[in-house]
This record gives sequence, C-alpha cells and structure tokens, in this order.
Amino acid sequence: MKVEFVFVGLLLAYAALVVRLISILPFFKGYSNGFDNQDGSLKVSLFEHKAKRPLRLFLFLGSGGHTGEMLRLIENYKRVLLAKGNTICVGYSDQKSKECFVRSIASEYPDCRFEYYQFKKAREVNASLLQSLISVLQTLLTSLKNVIKISSDFRQGPHLVLLNGPGTCCIIATWFKMLEFLNFAQPCSNLVYVESLARINTLSLTGKILYYIADVFIVQWQELTSQNPRAKCFGILV
Amino acid sequence: MATKTLFVTCGATVPFPELVELVLSQECFEGLKNYGFIRVIVQFGRGYKDDFERRLNTIHGIPQRCSLGDRELGCCSGESLSMSVLGALEIIGIEYSTRVHDIVRIADLVISHAGTGSILDSLRLEKPLIVCVNDRLMDNHQQQIADKFQQKNYVWACKPQPCEFYDCLRKSQSEQLNSFPQAHNVQFENQLIKLAFTSSNVNTL
Repeated sequence: MKVEFVFVGLLLAYAALVVRLISILPFFKGYSNGFDNQDGSLKVSLFEHKAKRPLRLFLFLGSGGHTGEMLRLIENYKRVLLAKGNTICVGYSDQKSKECFVRSIASEYPDCRFEYYQFKKAREVNASLLQSLISVLQTLLTSLKNVIKISSDFRQGPHLVLLNGPGTCCIIATWFKMLEFLNFAQPCSNLVYVESLARINTLSLTGKILYYIADVFIVQWQELTSQNPRAKCFGILV
Repeated sequence: MATKTLFVTCGATVPFPELVELVLSQECFEGLKNYGFIRVIVQFGRGYKDDFERRLNTIHGIPQRCSLGDRELGCCSGESLSMSVLGALEIIGIEYSTRVHDIVRIADLVISHAGTGSILDSLRLEKPLIVCVNDRLMDNHQQQIADKFQQKNYVWACKPQPCEFYDCLRKSQSEQLNSFPQAHNVQFENQLIKLAFTSSNVNTL
C-alpha cells in the first residue's frame, strides 16, 4: 500500500519537473519560436512605449573578434542597452577584452552602472588531461557562483542576457536555465544569442548548442535560417 | 592637388607577409603614384617589425621624418617607420595602432585582410575597401567572408596574387561600391525591448 503512494508521488514529481522543463525551454514560448514576424514587420520602435525603466544587462566578452562584435552590437543598440540608469554586468575571461570594454564603453557612458565578473577560461593550451579536467570543474563552479549572483538580481526588473561566440557562453547559458528550472520564483533569463558575422553557411559549435537554450537566436546571414528555423535574421547587426 | 592616403592593415595579431610584399613593390608604387596617392600607412601586425624593416630597406627609399605624429598614428613614440620612394610617395609602417578608426578616417582607400573586424572598421566609416584573403590561415572563414561581401558589392576582393591585387587597385579608381547598410535595425531593437520589458515572460508556474 505504502509503496504505491510513494510511486504515485514520484510520478507526480516527475511530471511536474517535465512540465517545468517545457515551460523554461524556448521552443514552447510564443515570443521566441520564430513565427511572430507579423508584429516584427511593423517598423515602429517600441522604445517610446516600453523601454522606460532601467534595464539590467549581462553580457559576456570572449576574446579578439568576439569582443569586437559584442562592443559594436551594444554600441549600435545603445538607445536601449546603454540607456541612463541601466546596470551593465560584464562577464570576461580575458583581461585585454575587459580593458577594451572599459576604454570604449564604460568610460563613454557615465550614466550606466558597470559591474565586472571574472570567469575562468575553460581550457588552457598545453594542459594535460587531468589539468584540463580540474580547470573545467573550476570553471563550472566559479561561473555557477557568478550566474547565481547575476540571476538573483534579475528578479528586480527588466533584464537581458546577451551572448555571442565564446565557448564559455555554453556554460553560462546552461547555468542560467538550470537556475530557472530549480527555482520556481525565478523569471526567465531572456537569453539572446547573436551568431558571429564570420558564420555564413554553418553555425559555430557554441551556436549549435545555444540553439536549444537561447530564448532568442539571431544569425546575421539569411543563409543560416533555412536549416535552422528557430534562427532569426535581421541582417548585419554589428 | 593629389593628397590621397592609402591605409593597409594586415590585422593586429597574425602577420600577412604576402600582402606587405604586394604593397611594397615597385609596380604598386608606380600605380599608387599615378592614381594620386602621396601616402601609404601600413599596419603590419605584432611581431613582424624586423621583417618589415628588412623589406623596407630593399625598396631603395630615402628615410624621412614621418608626416604624421605618433599620437595621430596611435603608436608608441618612435615606433613608426617612414620612408619616401619615387620622390613623392611616403611609406609609413606601424606595428599596431590603438587608433585605427582615426587612421581609417583620414584614408581615401583601405586595403585589409578579410577579418570581419577590419572589414567593419572601414565599411562603417564608408571608405572604399579592397579585401585581400589571407589564405594561409587554417580553419578560418576569410575566403567565405570575402566572397560574400564581394557578391554584395560592398568590397573588391582578391587573393594575395599580383594580377588580382592590381586589378582590384584599378577597379578602386574607376568603379563604385554599393553602400553598406546601417547596423541599426528597428525589428531587432523591438525584439530586445519585448523580451526585456514585457512582464508576461516571467514564469508563473
């Protein structure tokens, strides 16, 4: 008799978890399944109507070209992303990229608040198997710590997460969705992935993974939307 | 009066000897002089300084004071190399510039490797651009990018071979490119706003 109760309980818990998983993954959300182009074609900016409150933005800087594209992207959409009173949380693993960000963005937009979070690089060149295993674990843990901090601040108001190519973004995105899954009070993380401009015919590895996790998945060349129906293309954004 | 400036950038990190060789050739100098250029600025990339200096010494120029200051070039003091050839053409070499935008701004023509960063630097400032594919790089999308941008007529693209290179140089003086579209897209902006500010996406479960 008792065994049956336990069994039914487990089954219910399992069902709840599945429903939860479905509810947080992007495929089942109306706004992100790639078919809402009707209102998108209205060439009116929502800026005047909606984007009045300060926004909390998390972005991740990789290195080199990825950083360059991210800087261009937020600069091009500064009206929304770098508006007065916004808080910009900057994740970085490469010191040079951070300096570049400080020089070209942070010092130019004094009306925004900037917070910095250092992420450990998952892989160093010439590391042995054991060393890489340890460093991957360390990366997982430190990035979890950062993501917990960042996403707990998301409960206060409007927020966005902006990611592009670097591999660490896979870990970051997974942690964000995991926290949503575990914490029922957690709002959607609003993950936006923008594929690199250098990708014309195939997605990058990071892109292939984040295709299933990001709430909005953007590519910059029309060619990529035919094999990847969830991907949206608005032309070159950087 | 002819006062045109050409800016050549090999990218900051990986040297591109083939492009430097093409630019620092007698044939190229003659062409540039005929097209009215008086100044060539070459950013040859980190770690290529000795090679560049050696190559510069083989073109039989006359060393001279650089007509642009280190501040304008965005390099450390005394880092720039300058030489005049054919009596009227100034060649300026720098390893790496922190003010690439300012140099692009004063240039009348840009020749760059096919990295997206360098391409955008020029096209966003509406400068005519010749893209030269660094085809020795492995697992790199330079060729695809160059083809794509050329297909849309935003750039003239070539491989680092004399005939293709001079052909592009010739085209840059006679043909017009399509203008590069603005990066700002209202639909994308709306998408961001909708996602960030619509409270309905807060989980209710």
